[in-house]
Amino acid sequence: MTDSKKILPTIDNMSGMDREAIKTRLSRGASRREVMGWLMAGGATIAAAGSIVSSATSAMAATPKKGGKITFASDLHGPSDTLDPGLNTSTIDYSRGRAHYNSLVQFNDDTSTRPELAEEYSANGDNTEWTFKLRKDVKFHDGSAFSADDVIFSMNRHYGEASTSVAKTLVADVTEWVKVDNHTVKAVMAGPNGDLPKILATSNFKIIKDGTTDFQNPVGTGPFKLKTFQQGVRSQHVRNDDYWREGANVDELEIFAITDKVARTSALLSGDIDLMQALDPKAVPQIEAAPGVGIWSVASGAYIGIAMMSNSAPGNNPDFVLAMKYLQRREKIVRSILKGQGTIGNDQPINVAYGPDFCADLPIRDHDLDKAKFHLEKSGVTEAEIQVAEVAPGTTDICLLMQREAQKIGLKLNINKVPNDGYWGAVWMKTPINVTTWNMRPTANVMMNLAFAPDAPWNDSLWANERMGQLLVESRAVTDAGLRHEMYCEMQTLIHSESGMIIPAHRNYLDAKSDKVEGITRMPLGSLGGYEWPEFAYRTDV
Amino acid sequence: MQRMVIQRIFIGIITLWVVSVLVFVGTSVLPGDVAQIVLGQAATPETLAAYRAENGLDQPLYMQYATWLGGMFTGNLGISKAGGASISSLIGGRFANTMFLAGVVAIISVPLSVVLGLLAAMYPATWIDRVLTFGTLSLISVPDFFIATFMVLIFAVNLGWLPAIANVSPDDTMLETIQASAMPLITLIIVVSAQMIRMTRAGILNVMNSPYIEMSILKGVTRNRIITRHAFYNAIGPIVNVIALNLAYLVSGVVIVETIFAYPGLAKLMIDGVQTRDLPLVQACAMIFCGTYVVLIILSDVAAILSNPRLRNPK
Amino acid sequence: MTDKTANTEEISIYDELPDVPPKKKIRLTWVGKLGVTVVIFWLIMVFIGPYVAPFHEADIIAYDSFMPVWSETEGEGFHVLGTDYIERDILSRVLWGARTTIGISFIATLLAYLVGVTLGIGAAVAGGWVDMAFSRVNDAILSLPSIMLGLLIVVALGTSIPILILTAGVIYAASVYRIARALGQDIMVMDFVEAARARGEGMWYIITREVLPNAIMPLATDFGLRLVFVVLFISSLSFLGLGIQPPMADWGSMVRQNLDGLGYGSYAAVWPALAIASFTISINLIVDDISASEGGSLARKMIS
Repeated sequence: MTDSKKILPTIDNMSGMDREAIKTRLSRGASRREVMGWLMAGGATIAAAGSIVSSATSAMAATPKKGGKITFASDLHGPSDTLDPGLNTSTIDYSRGRAHYNSLVQFNDDTSTRPELAEEYSANGDNTEWTFKLRKDVKFHDGSAFSADDVIFSMNRHYGEASTSVAKTLVADVTEWVKVDNHTVKAVMAGPNGDLPKILATSNFKIIKDGTTDFQNPVGTGPFKLKTFQQGVRSQHVRNDDYWREGANVDELEIFAITDKVARTSALLSGDIDLMQALDPKAVPQIEAAPGVGIWSVASGAYIGIAMMSNSAPGNNPDFVLAMKYLQRREKIVRSILKGQGTIGNDQPINVAYGPDFCADLPIRDHDLDKAKFHLEKSGVTEAEIQVAEVAPGTTDICLLMQREAQKIGLKLNINKVPNDGYWGAVWMKTPINVTTWNMRPTANVMMNLAFAPDAPWNDSLWANERMGQLLVESRAVTDAGLRHEMYCEMQTLIHSESGMIIPAHRNYLDAKSDKVEGITRMPLGSLGGYEWPEFAYRTDV
Repeated sequence: MQRMVIQRIFIGIITLWVVSVLVFVGTSVLPGDVAQIVLGQAATPETLAAYRAENGLDQPLYMQYATWLGGMFTGNLGISKAGGASISSLIGGRFANTMFLAGVVAIISVPLSVVLGLLAAMYPATWIDRVLTFGTLSLISVPDFFIATFMVLIFAVNLGWLPAIANVSPDDTMLETIQASAMPLITLIIVVSAQMIRMTRAGILNVMNSPYIEMSILKGVTRNRIITRHAFYNAIGPIVNVIALNLAYLVSGVVIVETIFAYPGLAKLMIDGVQTRDLPLVQACAMIFCGTYVVLIILSDVAAILSNPRLRNPK
Repeated sequence: MTDKTANTEEISIYDELPDVPPKKKIRLTWVGKLGVTVVIFWLIMVFIGPYVAPFHEADIIAYDSFMPVWSETEGEGFHVLGTDYIERDILSRVLWGARTTIGISFIATLLAYLVGVTLGIGAAVAGGWVDMAFSRVNDAILSLPSIMLGLLIVVALGTSIPILILTAGVIYAASVYRIARALGQDIMVMDFVEAARARGEGMWYIITREVLPNAIMPLATDFGLRLVFVVLFISSLSFLGLGIQPPMADWGSMVRQNLDGLGYGSYAAVWPALAIASFTISINLIVDDISASEGGSLARKMIS
């Protein structure tokens, strides 16, 4: 993906100083237009300049107040909560990680990246080597200075037989992490990869102190220091007064989970918590009607899918798959089940949230019972069973709606509801028809590579298409925007028409917050602005 | 009599052992293994193997059982396979929380239920009895999650009197803890008392039908005196048994209340353990629950034996 | 451990070797009669509920979720009790749910009785090591909270209806076992059984002619209460997401799924809760009446 650099040339390389300069100009009364002009004169595109200005203005909109406490309730926690970034898999882990650590680079709201612990980063000409220049003014919570050794240690935990990292495949193409000097590291790649900064900005690549083995009370560089941490109970974090940049607005964070969704909503309404993750779409009217609270809904590329495995009946019958795709009442799903907190899906994973890589020309496959009946009859299937766990809010209801539609064309679709725990190990990809959900990924290529590459371990429907694999690899090296878009369109069309995946809807990240908490970002890669809130959120009532 | 008590204790120990075997076998047949569940959707064969090796999950089952049983005797409950924390540290604070909740509920609900149950039995078929009967019946007849959610909506969301969640912390003072856990306390007091009031009433009325009570009535002793002096003491055995079972329920069975109020107690921990296939954690919790049950039942049996001459000297 | 080995209050006042005590006639109060009426209503609904319901339980027909009581979907009809969270008719689901909820609970309780009474009476009559072995395993099952056991079984075997029935059946068989064994032991030491033994009757005769007829009334009463517990147990499993499969309507999961609506004034969760309450309260009222007229010793045994 070399041309993500081409489209957004300056964001990735813009130093913190430049950003400060923009902020200063804006705060002195420069208009948005003036600053955009200034940025574009420096080589930025309209899109890039726009995004920089908006993120700077939203940060400017109100100067964060200092002090107070924010209480955050996630949806899941338990004995497996961990502060080991390599093992983080849940929102609560990611949020704690964001409070406690920093990454080398950080996401902007449009999923471009900006410097964090690396004040500068750049690739060589063909994206086969990335160099990260590290900040020199960063201190860990124990007072020790941050250096290249910490980065090398943190990164090397994602390699090797013994590594338990859940993200190791994402950086497998880095053959070596080299310490150039005390404040410079270099990633040597096996092949070109322009997306490395985006991958390093994801939650599993937080920087820990060299030699860390104890993750009950680890040392980080982040905006908050750990006060208490009890798995499945809560963690408390206090402001790191020596933090290396602005941020860490509140004095204290408390992070825990309320697993019951109704109880979680009640706790927000009663003021016992300030932020909640995973609002049930059903509760949107309740939150909107209540004083002092509001929803925080960010459109994203995350999706709910139904996987028909290509290695077994009936998913190996293309007519059956098509019939099932025509059964979907996409608008009804978004309106009635997701209560408007989502966007229509078109049986392929990329939507408008991925920006220019989205293929808008691909027509939406409408609900069409005649076509569905035609293909069903052609397939000869009369009965099928789908395994359903509530992997994302509304999953079961989507399947129930599908069941009723199936009945209309003479298909007996049985729904077997299975518990959520154990689902990913015992049911997903192991039964002929099952459900899945994906969070949005930093790029369209990463998303499709994870879930649709012919050899991808998580290819939900085991759809092996050689052309798809070829396009995924080739498109990474293409620099011409037109050709790139053409290739991305071809991939999306392939998935749309041939894969065993039904993607009826993309879901918003739907969370809720107290009106007294501001400063939450809108980064679409995860809950509550991509887990970025711990550093930037602040209270308005202090 | 002493022999009977010792016999009960011996039986209790055997029960504990049977539970340990049942739980161990039961949990090991659960589908999906801990590595798979911890790593979730992100699991690949390599990460799974690495995780299993790191956590000793590749040992044979009987070895894991022997290691664990040995650990129990030395007070070493092992390491949580899911998160790497020691199980004692996971259980410690929650055990205190659970005991606090059960204790406070018991202190309030036991006398309350006995008094109300007595009242209902003393004035059967009066309005007191009817109100109590219908009230307690209604409360035990709807799912407890419905009662809990309803109470949250009224007292926390609409009236704003009490916190919606019981987010207790060890740093809190006693008063803060009671305030924070007011909602689960009230909910449990309602649920448990309803059961105990009914059983107390039934137990006393049952004794009232005995021939020797009829004899007292014939002798002209007043009804209230019969109940407080005779019937009550004879009903102690069954009443204590009901109380013991309800206390055991308070320690182990309150998972729904813990979930709704996000109260960090043991029952929820065990559910989490089941969900993450954290066998040592599930076994440790199960042993605590079973131990509590055994102790409570032994106590109630001893109380029954003491209060009952026939049991003291069995035929 | 908790069994009461003797029924102490029943001091014999007979002079001669007594025979089986005479049966008492059950007289119902008006409250009891009300209970019987409600239970009969629901039992009828078990059979005809789906035919009188205005819609199919799985029909997603309305245009809006959580519609209020007595609202209308144009071209479809009235929603007497409103609609649920995904726009299904509540009244229809409550009526369909009677079959699922009561049916499953009834079969599960029956199973619990079959297993529990057989093993319990067997243990009481056999005594010795059989009694010891059965009772210890039973204690172990009882000592674990039923919801945990349910969770373990359902997680291991899945959530099909037969497995739900089996789960509830096995868990409640443990408490039935205890009651049946206690009753059996009580009766075994009674004078008329001793009289039968003295007459030289065989074990089979004693079980069928002496023990069972005397245990039947308390057991029948307990059956009612146990049924209530099973209904609530399956509701609790629904809370953990392990209850009855959608789109089948069962009252417990209907309450669970529509709880969100309570927050903004929808009664969608109240109706199924009322259905559960009306059914369980009625059974309890009948049980109260029976135990009052039976005057018997059964309240003590109904614990757990």
